[in-house]
Amino acid sequence: MRAEDGPQAPESPAALGASALRKEEGKAAEDSYRLGLTYDSGGRLEIPTHLLFPAALPRPSPGPRMNLERVSNEEKLNLCRKYYLGGFALLPFLWLVNVLWFFREAFLAPAYEEQGQIKGYVWRSALGLVFWLVALTSWITIFQINRARWGALGDYLSFTIPLGIP
Amino acid sequence: MATAGGGGGAASGGRRTCLLLCFVSLLAGLCQANSVERKIYIPLNRTAPCVRLLNATHQIGCQSSISGDTGVIHVVEEEEDLQWVLTDGPNPPYMVLLEGKLFNRKLMDKLKGTQRISGLAVAVAKPSPVDGFSPSVECPNDGFGIYSDSYGSEYAHCKKLRWNPEGNGLAYEDFDFPIFLLEDENETQIIKQCYWDHNRGVNGSAPAYPLCAMQLFSHMHAVTSTVTCMRRSAIQSTFSINPEVVCDPLADFNVWNTLNPLNASGKLEPGDKVIIAATRLDSRSFFWNVAPGAESAVGSFITQLAVAEALQKAPDVAALPRNVMFVFFQGETFDYIGSSRMVYDMEKGKFPVQLENIHSFVELGQVALKNSSDLWMHTDPMSQRDESIYTEVQNLLAILKNSSNGVPNVTMKEANSQNSLPPSSFQRFLRSQNISGVVLTDHPLAFYNRYYQSIYDTAENIGLKYPPTLTPDQAMDFVTDIAKSLASVATVLGRALYQLAGGTNHTAVEADPVTVSRLLYGFLVKANNSWFQSVIRQDLKVFLGDGPLQHYIAVSSPINTTYVVQYVLANLTGTVVNLTREQCQDPKKAQDANKDLYEYAWVQGPEDPSGTGRLPQCVRSTARLAKAVSPAFELQQWGSSEYSTWTESRWKDIRARIFLVASKELEFVTLIVGLSILFVSLIVTYFINAKADILFTTPREPGAVSY
Amino acid sequence: MTAAVFFGCTFIAFGPALALYVFTIASDPLRIIFLIAGAFFWLVSLLLSSLIWFVAVTLSSTKDESVQKGLLIFGVLCSVIIQEVFRFAYYRLLKKANKGLMTISQEETSPISIRQLAYVSGLGFGIMSGVFSLVNILSDSLGPGIVGIHGDPPQFFLASAFMTLVMVLLHVFWGVVFFDACETKNWWALIVVIVSHLLVSGLTFLNPYYKASLVASYVIMLLMGIWAFFTAGGSCRNLKRCLLCRDKDFLLSNQRAR
Repeated sequence: MRAEDGPQAPESPAALGASALRKEEGKAAEDSYRLGLTYDSGGRLEIPTHLLFPAALPRPSPGPRMNLERVSNEEKLNLCRKYYLGGFALLPFLWLVNVLWFFREAFLAPAYEEQGQIKGYVWRSALGLVFWLVALTSWITIFQINRARWGALGDYLSFTIPLGIP
Repeated sequence: MATAGGGGGAASGGRRTCLLLCFVSLLAGLCQANSVERKIYIPLNRTAPCVRLLNATHQIGCQSSISGDTGVIHVVEEEEDLQWVLTDGPNPPYMVLLEGKLFNRKLMDKLKGTQRISGLAVAVAKPSPVDGFSPSVECPNDGFGIYSDSYGSEYAHCKKLRWNPEGNGLAYEDFDFPIFLLEDENETQIIKQCYWDHNRGVNGSAPAYPLCAMQLFSHMHAVTSTVTCMRRSAIQSTFSINPEVVCDPLADFNVWNTLNPLNASGKLEPGDKVIIAATRLDSRSFFWNVAPGAESAVGSFITQLAVAEALQKAPDVAALPRNVMFVFFQGETFDYIGSSRMVYDMEKGKFPVQLENIHSFVELGQVALKNSSDLWMHTDPMSQRDESIYTEVQNLLAILKNSSNGVPNVTMKEANSQNSLPPSSFQRFLRSQNISGVVLTDHPLAFYNRYYQSIYDTAENIGLKYPPTLTPDQAMDFVTDIAKSLASVATVLGRALYQLAGGTNHTAVEADPVTVSRLLYGFLVKANNSWFQSVIRQDLKVFLGDGPLQHYIAVSSPINTTYVVQYVLANLTGTVVNLTREQCQDPKKAQDANKDLYEYAWVQGPEDPSGTGRLPQCVRSTARLAKAVSPAFELQQWGSSEYSTWTESRWKDIRARIFLVASKELEFVTLIVGLSILFVSLIVTYFINAKADILFTTPREPGAVSY
Repeated sequence: MTAAVFFGCTFIAFGPALALYVFTIASDPLRIIFLIAGAFFWLVSLLLSSLIWFVAVTLSSTKDESVQKGLLIFGVLCSVIIQEVFRFAYYRLLKKANKGLMTISQEETSPISIRQLAYVSGLGFGIMSGVFSLVNILSDSLGPGIVGIHGDPPQFFLASAFMTLVMVLLHVFWGVVFFDACETKNWWALIVVIVSHLLVSGLTFLNPYYKASLVASYVIMLLMGIWAFFTAGGSCRNLKRCLLCRDKDFLLSNQRAR
């Protein structure tokens, strides 16, 4: 494999990066075009084989955008805000991701200009997350305890009704 | 797969070779069960489970957990043996193998109160329990007859008379463990042998492992009540991706015919009067689809079939001013499903006969006439408070008494007129309209039947015995004492109906004892006989088994009994007409056929005298089916207290098997050995790997080159 | 609670294989590939022998007990020979693959020696045959029952697990000896491998006398193990050195994989 892909890959980056060009917009797309990196629609990173063998490439490869270390502070703030706002669309998992992802940036990283705002977003995301956690946990508990007692209501609220138990 | 058997025996333990692997890969699909499973389990093939039924408010029956309930077998032959199960035995939970004679209320209450049993297998008692056994209730169909707290409250809830004093109510009880009936004595013996071999300690001490155990699967999907299960079925079938119906209404078909044909798709004029002769078709027992019902159902509907035949043969039938309708109600055991539906249809005008067309009503209850020749006429005290009804009823009684003159074996007697009606379909008609009517039974007060709705209500219960030397065909035509009695009852009833219909020469009506004999043989001894074969449609002949028919109302389409009764009735009352197969199956193609008046059936016919097959023929009769689905389901009133609401739960898997179980210690030892081998090999491999360079000297030259 | 039997038997049969895999195979992707390829070759041999078996059974559709027994013995014979043929085929394939590997390798030597290949492929054969012979039994060991209601000895699961363990290890040893025999054109060693394979397979006909078949199989395994140890470059001197920890380079050599 190495013998085949190694020398070939740098010479035909267009083939590797073509799909990326179609999917991503702007600078990021150009970036990945240059690197031969592609993101599929789910945001999952696909690394072309030649990246596995850095020796075959003329220069060291910088990390992808998902790595916060390589993103400008502005962009960090932008991302954090997007995730925070997205969470309001009844998507508490975005808040969970936001908290986990930016926790280091917000509280542990050395101070920088946008850190205050990021801190705020992370805090609020965490609050929202806790709210959701509490709400969901209590609802699930109440529902599981009372489903049988509620009778018809319990059945209408159930997606799958268990067989053979009240 | 005989090969699998041979292979399993020879290479059982190691199965090192590929050989059995070949089985796995290629033959597994062809084998019924793999050979390892056959070495472990003995399936019990002839069992009947107790299943869950539900009504508007309750669930009854039994249920296992979803993966089956397992327990160490303990055989209880005497009541003292239960001590071991309930307190002494060291290996709970136990699976109790109970002798049939001990299956009673007292013992079941004890078992219900303990966590130490996981299930029950009941062996059939032979002979039937001498003290009687009825798992039904003391007051059958209470609350759905005519008497209630607001109407005839002095008769309601069997206050005056408990009709079924033997009833212990077990069949209407909810059990949270599985209960199976062992129908085959050989299988019972196998289980007992396993118990004797493995589960008997020396001198009453705890037995040593491995122990013999049984596993019963009867997981029921429905729960709580019909309201709940029907609602869940409805929700699931509308919303769910994977619709799962959890219960089905008990439903079947009534069988009915008329003496003179009437337009089945039209309606009778209000002036046309009809005399209804009714009886019930179904019975039940504690166990699913075991419902021999010899005395509680078969005796009476056989008699009515004989009546229908006798009356059809009577002279001047076509000239009678009033018609006679014979109805065989299905599902009466479960709060009058069939009769309540017929009354409902009559009220809604969906049946050719309306309630106001009914002249009078004669119902046959249990009429085995075992103890004496007295046939008791029960009447309803409430409706007779109406003067005109009273007169009509007295007239009816007089005609019945008059009809019995000169008939041997039967004496008509009036039951106490201050007693209520026994549980009967007639009550459903009285609920809607005051009609003169009478219920004929062989008991003046409580049932004489001591096995009402139990597995023991069989041919023996009504004293049906044949000399042992007879061939099946001889036995079928052998006139037994019970056949004579039932034929006499049929004659009396036939003559009474003839008079009620306006006939005069009633002594010409005479029921045929041979017909009764054949019916008794067919319904109670062997359904797969030459006569039943000849009267039934070809596609239905699979319904005729080698044993007696079971009369439990099912949840879908006509059951065996319904079909057989319909075709027997058609054969007894109909005529063979000269139509081709196509014309018979689609009478529109025949010019002289009248689909509105008659029902045409293409039956197998008698055997060809040359013995090469059958001579199929077309039978024209008025025997029809009418839906017997409780109106509660038509109206979607699942919590109805007016109509029957019985449903049967669905299930996926019902089976039973026996096997040996290992002690917890042995299992634990296996686990420990496995874990130690794992850890030892982890450690050893780690060190060998670490010292591989020392252990294994590679050739001097790094010479894999030469390789 | 019968899950205990399931896990117990699984660990007995596959514990050593798991340990070998974790410490010697998992660290090297190349070895994983060769392991799986070995397992695949064993599967193909299984497919072939089951085809032969299927044809044989279909042709002789009798229920005669002795004919069935004869068929079974014939099946065992065929299956063992086909397995060994496939082992040889795999050896040929690996030789070719090794040459290819050597050409692309930057170093002078192949990234994996033929001796290692022998071990890896043997383990692949062993694991797959073990899985196939035990998986059905394991699935039944979960159920509530144990063997014995027809009077068979109740140690069926345990004996099967130990037998599988023998087979897994034997396949490893056979692999090592077989490949070495091919390398050195030592044909009598090849014959010994095939005969011992036949012998162990034949021993299972002694069942349900588990003691006899198990003890004999373990003796054969021990002998094969010793032989494989010496074939792989082991010696009593090495063993002594190793046990007494005399080697000063121990920590150093530890760094390199075998």
